[in-house]
Amino acid sequence: MSRGFRYDAVVIGAGSAGLVAATRLAQAGASVAVLAKGVGCTHLAAGTVDVLGYAPELVSRPLEAVAALTHENPQHPYARIGQQRIGEALRWLQATLDAGPLAPYTYVGDADHNGLHPTALGALRPSALVPSTMAAGERTQLERVCIVGTPALRDFHPSLCAANLSRAGVQARAVSVELELERADMSTLGIARRLEEPRWRAEFCARLTPLLRSEERVGLPAMLGLREPHTVHADLEHRLGRRVFEIPSLPPSVAGMRLYESLRAALRAAGGRLMLGAEVVSHTREDGRLSAVQTGAAGHAASYSADAFVLASGGFASGAIELDSHWATHERVLGLALDGVPAPGEPRFLPDYQAAQPLASVGVAVDAQLRALGASNVYVAGASLPGAVPWREASGEGIAVASGFAVAQTITGGRERHG
Amino acid sequence: MSDLAELALLRGSLDHCIKCTICETACPVAAATPLFPGPKYAGPQSERYRVLGEPSVDASVDYCSGCGICSQVCPQGVKIAEINAQARDKLKRQRGVPLRDRIITRPTWLGRVGTPVAPLANLTLRLRPTRVLAQRLLGVHRDAALPRFAGRRFSRWAAARSSPRSARRVVYFHGCGTEYYEPWEGEKVVAILEHNGFEVITPRQDCCGLPLQSSGLFDDARKAVLKLARALAAHLDGEETIIVGNATSCTLMLKREAREILALSEDPTLRLVAERTYDICELLLELHHRGELRTDFRALPETVAYHAPCQQQGHWIGKPALELLELIPELDVREMDARCCGIAGTYGIKAEKYEIGMRVGQELFSQVQASGAATVACDSETCRWQIAHATRREAVHPIDYLYRAYGLGQPGV
Amino acid sequence: MVTLTTDVLVIGGGATGAGVAWDASLRGLDVVLVERHDLAQGTSGRFHGMIHSGGRYAVKDPLAARECIAENRILRRIAADCMEDTGGLFVTTPHDDPAFAERFAQGCAQTGVPCEEITPAQALREEPRLHPGISRAFRVPDANIDVWKTVWALAHGAQQHGARILTYHAVTAILRDGDQVLGARVHDQRGGEDLEIRARVTVNATGAWAGRIAELAGIEGVRVFPGRGIMIAMNHRLVNTVVNRCQMPTDGDIIVPIRTVSVIGTTDHHTDDPDDQTVEQREVDQMLDDGEKLVPGFRQARALRVWTGVRPLFEDAKAADTDTRDVTRAHALLDHEQRDAVNGFVTITGGKLTTFRLMAEQTVDAVCRQLGETRACTTASEPLPGSERREHYRLGERLARKEADLNGEQLICECEMVSRQRLEQVIARTGSTDLDDIRRQLRLGMGPCQGGFCIYRATGVLHARDGLGADQADASLMAFLQERWKGVWPVLHGDQLRQARLDEWIFHGVLDVEHLPR
Repeated sequence: MSRGFRYDAVVIGAGSAGLVAATRLAQAGASVAVLAKGVGCTHLAAGTVDVLGYAPELVSRPLEAVAALTHENPQHPYARIGQQRIGEALRWLQATLDAGPLAPYTYVGDADHNGLHPTALGALRPSALVPSTMAAGERTQLERVCIVGTPALRDFHPSLCAANLSRAGVQARAVSVELELERADMSTLGIARRLEEPRWRAEFCARLTPLLRSEERVGLPAMLGLREPHTVHADLEHRLGRRVFEIPSLPPSVAGMRLYESLRAALRAAGGRLMLGAEVVSHTREDGRLSAVQTGAAGHAASYSADAFVLASGGFASGAIELDSHWATHERVLGLALDGVPAPGEPRFLPDYQAAQPLASVGVAVDAQLRALGASNVYVAGASLPGAVPWREASGEGIAVASGFAVAQTITGGRERHG
Repeated sequence: MSDLAELALLRGSLDHCIKCTICETACPVAAATPLFPGPKYAGPQSERYRVLGEPSVDASVDYCSGCGICSQVCPQGVKIAEINAQARDKLKRQRGVPLRDRIITRPTWLGRVGTPVAPLANLTLRLRPTRVLAQRLLGVHRDAALPRFAGRRFSRWAAARSSPRSARRVVYFHGCGTEYYEPWEGEKVVAILEHNGFEVITPRQDCCGLPLQSSGLFDDARKAVLKLARALAAHLDGEETIIVGNATSCTLMLKREAREILALSEDPTLRLVAERTYDICELLLELHHRGELRTDFRALPETVAYHAPCQQQGHWIGKPALELLELIPELDVREMDARCCGIAGTYGIKAEKYEIGMRVGQELFSQVQASGAATVACDSETCRWQIAHATRREAVHPIDYLYRAYGLGQPGV
Repeated sequence: MVTLTTDVLVIGGGATGAGVAWDASLRGLDVVLVERHDLAQGTSGRFHGMIHSGGRYAVKDPLAARECIAENRILRRIAADCMEDTGGLFVTTPHDDPAFAERFAQGCAQTGVPCEEITPAQALREEPRLHPGISRAFRVPDANIDVWKTVWALAHGAQQHGARILTYHAVTAILRDGDQVLGARVHDQRGGEDLEIRARVTVNATGAWAGRIAELAGIEGVRVFPGRGIMIAMNHRLVNTVVNRCQMPTDGDIIVPIRTVSVIGTTDHHTDDPDDQTVEQREVDQMLDDGEKLVPGFRQARALRVWTGVRPLFEDAKAADTDTRDVTRAHALLDHEQRDAVNGFVTITGGKLTTFRLMAEQTVDAVCRQLGETRACTTASEPLPGSERREHYRLGERLARKEADLNGEQLICECEMVSRQRLEQVIARTGSTDLDDIRRQLRLGMGPCQGGFCIYRATGVLHARDGLGADQADASLMAFLQERWKGVWPVLHGDQLRQARLDEWIFHGVLDVEHLPR
C-alpha cells in the first residue's frame, strides 16, 4: 500500500528557527507539519534572543552593527535576511509571547539595543531581548547585587559569579541558601518546578530574606518557574522587597524551555502539527524540487509530501551536518551542498582553543532567498545556515528567529491568514 | 548477526549522547520521584559502567517506567529507553522475578482464566479485602486500576461472522485488551474498516509479549512475540495486505520494540510484520491524506479530551487521532498537553510504584479535570483504565467517536 | 638557598621513579623525589593502560615475555586496587597470518605465559563486537592498570615511610664534585624558588629524558631514543577484554578497555624530542583503520581524544635508525660507577610499564651496592596503600558508590561519576588549583563531554573551597579548556564534534568565557 501524509509545508527541526517558521506558515493559513528527530537547541541555549553581541568587539547597537557585519561578510545569514526583517521578527516574537500561555512573561528589549547581562560565570554578555525575568540584571541597573545559589544546585556557583562581577565593577557578593531538596543533584529545572509550589517558594524566601542587605538586587540562576514564571518572579520580588533577576547557566535552560513551550503553543494555536521522534531518513526529489521526505517511524517509514520544505535541522551540534571519520562533511538530512567547508589540506581546527576555528561556519549553501542550492522549494533557516559563528558572535537565537520568520514570509509571499 | 552483537550495537547508541539533558527535562518519572535519577544517568551514563557478564550494581534503573519519552525527545538518537530496558532485564534476572510479575505479564492466561467466571472475578477484584491481600501477597497495589473482564471474547464474535469480501484486505490484530476486556472496541474497529471498504480478517492470536518485556522477562517475551508474528504473517497474502491494531502499545511492540529491545531485528517474519503493521488511527489518517477516507461524519456536539499516550507517541508519527477527531463536525477536541498518565503498561499497578505512577499522571489528570470534558479519548487501554480510575471520567478509544460519527450504531453488548 | 639532604634523590615522577622511591623507602632509606610536572604526567601517564601477560612478546622476545608474566602476577598482588582483571584475548583476524597462531601458542608455552585456546564462537560470545571472521582465539591474563592511581599510591606509600615528593620541581643542575655526584639543584616552578638537594646517590629515572639529565651530570653517551606513538580513547568499552591481534607486534594491534573507555594503540615514529606531542592525521587514520580490523564499525564509534606517548628506548647498536620498535624494549640500568667511574649516580631507562617494579628493584639494588649496604627488596609482597585488601578494581565501582547514596552524593563530573565530596577532598589534600592535575587524580572531565558540564562546576567548587581569587579560578578554567582541546581537536569528528559544538555553546554562548573581566 502506498503511504503518505500531505501538507502544504513541512518543516524539519523543532528548534526556535523551525518553530518560528512553522508557526508563521500556519498563521498564514498553510497546513504545516514539523518533523523533528527530537527537541532542539532551545533547551540548551541561554534563553535570551541575541541579535549580535560581538563583531568581534562588543556591540551595543546590534542592528547598526549588522549592517557593517554583512558588508564585510556577505555570506552571513543576516546579509540575506536584512536588518528590517530582524526587527520585524523580534517584534513578532514579543507579540507571540504577549499572547501566549506564559503571559505576561515576555521578552523585553529591542533589536536596536544590547543590554549586558551576567552569566553564571560572572561575565557580562550582550543580548538584545531577554526574558522579563532577566531584565533587572542589566549592567546599567546593577549597583549592588547579591548572587544566590544553593549547594544542591551543581550548575550554579554564586561565589564565582559574584567574584567575577566584582572584577567587572559591580558591587557583588554571594550567598548560599540551604534548602530541603529531594536530591543532591538538582538541576535548575528541578528547582523551577519546586518554586512553582507557593509554600515551597514562601519557605525559600523566608530563608533567603535574612541573608540579604538593603539596596541589593538579587540574582538567581534561571529557575523561576517553567509554567508560571511571571507569578514566581513577581512573588519573589514582592516577598524579598527588591528587584530579582535570573542568570543563565548550564543546560537544561529553563528560560529556553519557556521559549520552546511558547512557540509550541503558538504553533498549536495556529493549527500546525509537531511530530517528535520523526527523523527524516530519506527523501524524494523531482526536477530539482523536493517532493517528499520520509521519516523513520516505527516499523515502516512515513512519507510526508509538501509544496515547500524548511530545513531547520541545525549544524554540527545536532548532527544534521556531519564530519565523518574520513574527514568528509555531509548534510545528512537531504544531502544538500554545503558552504564554508575548508578545502582539502586546509586545517579544520586550530590548536588554540580560543582561535577562530576554520570549520565553525559551515552550513547549507543557499541563494539570496535562503533557498538551498539545487532544491528550489527547500528553504534553510537557523543553525543550518552558513557564514556565522553564532556562539562567538552572540547571534544564535537572532539568526534562528529572523531566518525562520524570513523563510516563512518568502514561502507565503507575505500572506496573513484571512478571516 | 547474533543477539549479543545486536545488543552491543544498541548499547553503542550511547556514543551519540552529548549529555545535553534534554531527556531529563522530559522524563515524567524523574520529575515525580527521587528514586529514579533520570534517563541520562540510568541510560547512556550508567551504561558505560556496565560490563557484560558482571552483576548489575545499579538498582535505580528499576524505577524507569519504560514510557520511552526520553528516546523520543532525544535529538541525538540515543536509544535511552531501550538501554534502560536491557539494564532492567539484567537486574531482573539477577534478582529473580517476583510472582506478581509472572502473573500480570500474562494477559492471555489471565483472560482465559477470568473470562468464564467474569462476574465473580470482577467482584473479587473489586473487594477491598481481596485487594489488600493481593497487595500483600502479590505486590499489586490495592488502589490500582484493574480492568473488568467482559465475560465474552472478541474472537468468538469475529469467528461467528464474516467480513464482506473486498480487494482491500486487512489483518486485524486486536490484542488481549480487546479480546478479554473491551471486545466492543474490536467490533467498532471492524465496523469502521468495513465502512471504508476493507475486508477484515481476524486470525487466532495471543499476547504480543509486551507486558513480559516491560517487566524484564525477555526470553518469554521473545517467544510470545514471535508466535504472534507467525500467526499474523500467515495471513499477509498480497503485497498490499496490512495488519491493523487498536492497542497502540501492542502495535508498537510489533513495529519496533520487539525488534529493538528484544534484539529480534533479524527475524524475517517479525520484520515483515513490523513493516506491515498500522495503528488504526495511523491508517485512517493516511487514508484521509490520500482522499480515501469516508468523511460522512455526523455532528457530535460534545467535548472530548484527547490524550496521546506515550506508546502512541513512540510510533513517531505525531498524533493521528487528533487530526481524525478534528474531522468530526461540532466535536470540541481538547488536546491534553501532559506527557504520561503514569501507568506505563503494568508499572503503575505495582505496589511500590503505584504512588509514583499517580504523581506522574497528576498533570494529565488536572488538565482533564480542567478541560470540562466528560470523556477522555486515548489510544491505549491501560492508560484509559488509569485515567478513568484517577479522573472518574469515562475513557474510550478515539475510534469510538469515529464509530458514532459514522452512525454505525451500537455494537452488541 | 634551602638545602635538603637525603640518602637517595630520585629524579622523575613516573612509574619507575615513584617505584624507586617506594622501594628505597621500604628498605629504610631516606628519599626525596623531584618531578618537573605532576606525577605520571610524562610517558607513564601517556600509554594505553595495559599490563601485559607476556603474550605480546612470547614469540619475538621470550625474555620480555617471562619478565611480563612474573611482574603481572606480582602486580596483581601488590596493586590489586589499581588493576582490573579484564583478561586478554589474542585473536587471528582475517588480516593476520593464520600460521602465527601456532607459533604464538608454542611461545606462550615456552615462556610460561598461561594461554588457553577457546573457540571463535566462545570469543564472540564474550566479546560480541569482535570481528566475526576470527579463526583462532587464545585467552591470556592481560589486565589493565590505572597508572595515575598507581603512581600516586607509590608516592603516598613512600611518603608514609618518610619520603618527600616534590612535584613541579625541575632539575636545573646536577651537583658534581670530581667523580662524585652530590645531588641536584632544582627550581620550584610554582613557588619560584631554587633549592639544593644533596644526596648520597642520585637516581636518574627520567625515561625518555634520561639522556638530558645524564648530560647535566657531565656523562656522555647515554642515548635514549624517543619513540613517539599515539593512542586514541574511544567513548565506551567496545570490548571488556584486552584484545590483541595474534601476529608479530605491530602498530594498532591492541584495544585495551580501561575504566570507562577503550584505547587503541599505537603508532611508532622516531622523534628527536621527548617533549614532542605531535599527532599526525595519518596516524589517526591508521589507528581508525586498525581498529576496524579488530572491531568492525570502529570508525562509527566515538573517538574522544588522542594523545602521544614517548617511549624511552635505550639505544642498541644493532637497531636500525628508523624503526624504533626493533630497539630493545628491555630496560637499561646504568651504574655510572661501573660505566663511567662517576660515583653516586644511577640511570634507569627503557623498559615498559608492566615491569616498572622490577626496574625499581634492580635500581635500588644498585643504589645499595653504591652505598655499600645490604637491604632486601620487599616490593614484590608489600601491597600499595589502597590495595591491602587485594581486591581488583571493578568498572562498576563508581556507579555502585553513587547508587549507595543516590540522593546524598552530588556528581560534579557525571560522565566519570566524580562526586563533589571526592573533588573537595582532592583539592584539600593536594592543595592544587590546577584542574588538569585534579583531572588525573579523579578522571574529572575525561568522559564523553570532555569537561563541557563539569569544568564550570569544578571551577566553582575550587573557587569556593580555596578562597581563590576569581582571576586564578578563571585562569585554571581557561587552562583546562585549552589542555582538553589539545587532545580533542586532532581526532575531532562524528559524535565528538557534536559534543564539542555543544561545549562551545556552553562556554561561549551561555557562559561567555571569552569575555571574562581581565
